[in-house]
Amino acid sequence: MPATLTVLLYSSIAAATAAFGVVPLLLRQRPSVRWLGWSNAVAAGLMLGAAYLLLVSGGSLSPLALGSGTGLGVGFAYAAHRLSGTEDLDLNELDNASPDYGAKILLVHTLHAAPEGVTIGVAMALSPPLGVFMALAIAVHNVPEATVLSAILTNRGMAVSRAAGLSVATNIGQILMAVFTYAVIGAAAATLPWVLGFAVGALVYLLIAELLPECYHQTGHTSVALVTILAMGIVALLGGWLG
Amino acid sequence: MNPVLVVFGYALVTALATGLGAVPFAFVREVSPRAVAYANALAAGLMLGASFRLGEEGTAYGGVPTLLGATGGVMFIWGTQRWLSGREVAFGATAGLAARQAILIVVVMTVHSFAEGVAVGVAFGGGTTLALAITLAIAVHNIPEGLAITAVLRPRGVIGVLRCAGWSVLSSLPQPIMAVPAFLLVDTFRLALPYGLGFAAGAMVFMVFVELLPEALNAARRPAVALLVSLTMVAMVLFQRHL
Repeated sequence: MPATLTVLLYSSIAAATAAFGVVPLLLRQRPSVRWLGWSNAVAAGLMLGAAYLLLVSGGSLSPLALGSGTGLGVGFAYAAHRLSGTEDLDLNELDNASPDYGAKILLVHTLHAAPEGVTIGVAMALSPPLGVFMALAIAVHNVPEATVLSAILTNRGMAVSRAAGLSVATNIGQILMAVFTYAVIGAAAATLPWVLGFAVGALVYLLIAELLPECYHQTGHTSVALVTILAMGIVALLGGWLG
Repeated sequence: MNPVLVVFGYALVTALATGLGAVPFAFVREVSPRAVAYANALAAGLMLGASFRLGEEGTAYGGVPTLLGATGGVMFIWGTQRWLSGREVAFGATAGLAARQAILIVVVMTVHSFAEGVAVGVAFGGGTTLALAITLAIAVHNIPEGLAITAVLRPRGVIGVLRCAGWSVLSSLPQPIMAVPAFLLVDTFRLALPYGLGFAAGAMVFMVFVELLPEALNAARRPAVALLVSLTMVAMVLFQRHL
């Protein structure tokens, strides 16, 4: 299969997996607050594991370009939040039914998906097995994230099937950015350390700004730490075998 | 000169360098809750970066031993934290939560120095010809670790900068102590190294997620915490990797 098609295929799988986020909602009416906390912690740990794998794989890259790329990625995430007025948005307000909140929550999830697409694309450029693994890690990450989003959407009266569809739709950016990133690095290999740094910076910024703050209110500090570290460790270990 | 003395002496110099990390805090007077939160975020970023490097080094010797070591490190700090929380403790002029956190960071960084000491000894194992280069590299690498300790101790402890420097150096003393046996029994210690590096990484990451990040996010706004952690983390990885 042509490499670009591989990127397209696996990033599509990652985005489509978000639909599974509604499964807990089918099993019970409303997830408990603690489960939301653990979902967020799993999502955060997987992102941190992805950032770790990228940094380790980029060990031989120019530190200056990598560091500058990180600055750009962090700057992108910060600016995206600032410009959309979502920097203090709580992504877990199940009972907030205001139209403004609904629009912002979808916007945040859509913006959040973009650097994850960059992550898949840059990992594919480093090595196809790493790229496939990264796409699968992001796919798993998309599930708990979509659970929290779908819980909000269904609480507003939306049908579960539509919530699943919207969860996938907010992740379409992953496919676009994965293919775009892969193409850019293919056309100009010198961009690799910049793009890798960008992905790492944005991933770490987003997991701290979006996922962790709520976790700590939803469940105990110790369980947040353990779940996050476990998710991160699994990604680091499995990815390490591929590298 | 006796190579054992050379190794001990050089490793002692690297331990003393840790004290330099306290210097920037000589110029910080303010200890508002927000300043404490920023210090926590700074320490969190530095420790996450350091643990990424430890994981990277450990997996070069063996992935599974590193992971086993990391599990041990998490368990150890978890146990220490639980043990401390059941007791009345004092540290400097503080007591209660602040004192427990101060003790915990000293324990975490001391434990991590055992692993680093072994790494130094093993690095010298090839002979002492590269001694100066290795010593300089590790001394420089220790300075931000002293910064991390001081960032936790100084705002809480109501203890002076000199005493912060003292605790930083003390937490690094296991380095020369462990470097000597590791130098003499390189092959034995090389086998133990991934476990030790993993242990140190697990201890640090757990401290970050269970104490530093929740407290930082509690007292400062999300963008500030996310900016500080993501930028210092990557800076730390690049700094320790390339110096």
